[in-house]
Amino acid sequence: MSTFLLLVPFLAVVILNLLPKRARVAAFAITFLVLALETAAAFVARFVAVDWSFLAPVERVLGFGLSLDHLGGLLLLCAGIVGMAALLVGRRTLAEASERFMFANLVLVALVGINGIAMVRDLFTLYVFVEVTAVATFILITLRHGGHAFEGAWKYVILSAVASVLMLSSVALLLLSVGGISLDEVKTALATPGTLTWVAIALFLCGLFVKGALVPFHGWLADAYTAAPAPVSVFMAGIVTKASGIFALLRIASSCLGGALPGREILLVVGALSIVVGAFLALGQSNMKRMLAYSSVSQMGYIVLALGGDLRLGIVAAALHFFNHAISKSQLFANAAAIEERLGTLDMDKMGGIAARMPVTAGTTAVATLSIAGLPPLAGFWSKLLIVMALWDAKEYAFAAVAILASLVTLAYFLSLQRRVFFGKTLPEWAAVREAGVGLLVPAVALAAITVVLGIGFPFALRVLLGGGA
Amino acid sequence: MAIEIPQSFWLYFIFFALLLVDGLWCMLATRNLVRILIGVEILMKSVTFLLIVAGYFSGRMALAQALVITVIVIEVVVVVVVAGVILGLFREHDSLDVENTREMKG
Repeated sequence: MSTFLLLVPFLAVVILNLLPKRARVAAFAITFLVLALETAAAFVARFVAVDWSFLAPVERVLGFGLSLDHLGGLLLLCAGIVGMAALLVGRRTLAEASERFMFANLVLVALVGINGIAMVRDLFTLYVFVEVTAVATFILITLRHGGHAFEGAWKYVILSAVASVLMLSSVALLLLSVGGISLDEVKTALATPGTLTWVAIALFLCGLFVKGALVPFHGWLADAYTAAPAPVSVFMAGIVTKASGIFALLRIASSCLGGALPGREILLVVGALSIVVGAFLALGQSNMKRMLAYSSVSQMGYIVLALGGDLRLGIVAAALHFFNHAISKSQLFANAAAIEERLGTLDMDKMGGIAARMPVTAGTTAVATLSIAGLPPLAGFWSKLLIVMALWDAKEYAFAAVAILASLVTLAYFLSLQRRVFFGKTLPEWAAVREAGVGLLVPAVALAAITVVLGIGFPFALRVLLGGGA
Repeated sequence: MAIEIPQSFWLYFIFFALLLVDGLWCMLATRNLVRILIGVEILMKSVTFLLIVAGYFSGRMALAQALVITVIVIEVVVVVVVAGVILGLFREHDSLDVENTREMKG
């Protein structure tokens, strides 16, 4: 199974490039199929027992020591759904055939990395797959030259390089102090920790904070998201930053940090800082994509904060918020793509009263923003509730209060977005604007439906997603 | 299992730290994009060196060797992509000044 998850996207890239030039229009269909398979794989791993032993010879050759668990399955599910949404957005917004072909290829390469991240069992392999994902993303940002594409990519590239240095020096120090780099060995070593081990772990966490754009390492995120073409920002916001930064943190917290205190303290402080700083930065933006980017910083802070709470509940809460936010944020970027396509601008000060002209876009945006802000009964409410409960159980009352109060700021900046873009009287210059095409509405409506259904059917969904972990 | 770290390790560690500071200085003291890339490379070299030293002192040279080779391969890919980004910036602005990457605000 785990070998398949790496080989299928890789072989798909090979096949795409072997296609004759005229047949390259099929690239999107093939990539879509791979992503659909990926979504299915998340459920196969959970419900169907398949005998994979016939793959044993291949796995001996490729021996990465990978294995898939519930948490990994969740990442596969997110990657599949978000990837399909990004492809649908790309179909509409990428004009040239060559751009579309490259987009399909790079999404598949990034998928190899994401699948790897879902299954790693040691820190160095984690670094390798994070880097695979990142390299594909650097190129994706510059997919369309001009604008500030290279500037956004440059910032991401340089900060990523710094993150690599941090993670690799951590691997070296762990090799020295623990004698091994697998998650199990590190966990055993942390039971009787030395200073060097903790320094190494802290360095690795800092590397992942850069990749996940948490405060104080968030400088690159808004520029990279804003500079990227619309489908790329859907893909990046939905899955790339989350897989390579936040999911890796989830993995480390769940399988080797335990409830040990210095590690928890780092997560709590960085999480709370990200929540507050991200929310206030979002409040001051007038570019829609920039506001969404800073809102991402803030929401990823919630996920990290949850990891600092009560361990068992915290992991469940973090995983659930991870899923909710991946769905809602990629949907909001798809909405932004629809608005940009019709209005030709993302400056919110120039918009006004779009709701009358684009009712579906306005409605789905409302669902996603309210879900992220944590209004019941949408999916985001439940995950935030669980986060606060996890913090309360760990007796971190101050941090729980930060989480609740920052929710109000979240609501404030999203209401400001709604008011400036959608509400009020339609400005005369937008009187002739029509609703976005079906190609852009399908992903938005589908993702909004997931948010609503998950919110209403929450108890059942929790059991399906996490195998009764709560 | 914890490993006793011999005194001689710190000699190597000082060299690693010097290389690290050198790379950081190279990144921060210049406005030229190519020089920043060189600084990043020096940083990566310092870490590669630390990996080798860690492998030697922990007695897991074979593992360290595998890691270092992988790191070198990844590094090559990253350098190619960064060089591509620098080329793009150069074609856009006709200069290698790092000021060109500070236009976005907010």
